[in-house]
Amino acid sequence: MSFLWLAILGLMMGAVFGIALEKSRMLEPGVLIRQFQFKNFTMLKMFMTAVATGLVVLAALTGLGLAELHPKAAIMGSTIIGGLLLGAGIVVAGACPGTALAQIGAGYRDAWGIVAGGIAGAMFYGYNKGWIDSLVKFGDQGKLTLMDLTGLPFWPMALGLAALILAALYALEKVRPWQDDMAGLPGIEDDRATGESGAGKVVAAG
Amino acid sequence: MPTLTQSHWSPYAGGIVIGLLQIPAFLLVDTALGASSSFVTAGAWIASMFDAGAADNAYFAKYMASGKYVWQSALVIGIALGAFLSARMGGVVRPAIATVWRELTGVRSAPARFAMAFSGGFVLLLGARIAGGCTSGHGVSGMAQLAVGSTIAVVAMFAGGILTAAAMRRN
Repeated sequence: MSFLWLAILGLMMGAVFGIALEKSRMLEPGVLIRQFQFKNFTMLKMFMTAVATGLVVLAALTGLGLAELHPKAAIMGSTIIGGLLLGAGIVVAGACPGTALAQIGAGYRDAWGIVAGGIAGAMFYGYNKGWIDSLVKFGDQGKLTLMDLTGLPFWPMALGLAALILAALYALEKVRPWQDDMAGLPGIEDDRATGESGAGKVVAAG
Repeated sequence: MPTLTQSHWSPYAGGIVIGLLQIPAFLLVDTALGASSSFVTAGAWIASMFDAGAADNAYFAKYMASGKYVWQSALVIGIALGAFLSARMGGVVRPAIATVWRELTGVRSAPARFAMAFSGGFVLLLGARIAGGCTSGHGVSGMAQLAVGSTIAVVAMFAGGILTAAAMRRN
């Protein structure tokens, strides 16, 4: 495929991605930070729904022979150390790499700082990859998957895990309705703050 | 039915949309959804403006040459455009800096928040590149492929996030 076609396709898919991140409020820094404080469950619900949908989609695509999986390598040292840094970065930045771009589009000006810092961080890694990797790249298990561990094919495990995720989300939703976590976010009425429903928009708690 | 003019959707609607994006990603680009590689592509091109040796850096060269990274760079620009369109059509106006920073960290001035955003972004991408993926590549895509490394990465991300968020105020 030509680079031009890939760029157009990327823009179109990205626009859909950005709409989903904005509409479901994954891009609000408060939603991400409060998830890690277990006070807002929007991020976990959206993330697990995306994983479950992906499992069903990939079970179908690979089952029909239309696509092959591309699992990343399991390198224990770099995966754990990198993951810890990434998690800390999400809280300080208030975004993950994809949502930082969504924040720019949605109007958060400080997200330009996140993207600039992110490019600097990626450049720093590129220039210092040698010594960083020598410290963190240990425990390489190769492209290990659950299929390798169990000896079972992908599709039944994918559909099984998707069903488990759906059951867990159903239970979580019973205890914690999603609307509770949206109240008070920019452009969404906070009925609890005003004490009566439909009483004007309260813009707060991004 | 979710529409563009609504101010918000449930997290489930958004999650399904993102999960369905794996279909064109796998069928048309033969890759999984991801975002953090595009920061290397941007960094590599910027580095090559100031450093003639940057293109000889094998890591940078890899992210400058492949069509997959052209696609992913366009994807993240599309994310900004999509979020802009969505906020406009939904009638959602946001402050320049989210109020949560004042509430949870006490950071009030714009320069202080920009410095925080820059350092957060630096750690974010340094971590993502060390781990070999971010919340999209390892998280959404890796877990959907039942990759062991990606599942460990997600647990580590949550651990790092929980520990750091514990240092902030709770309200």
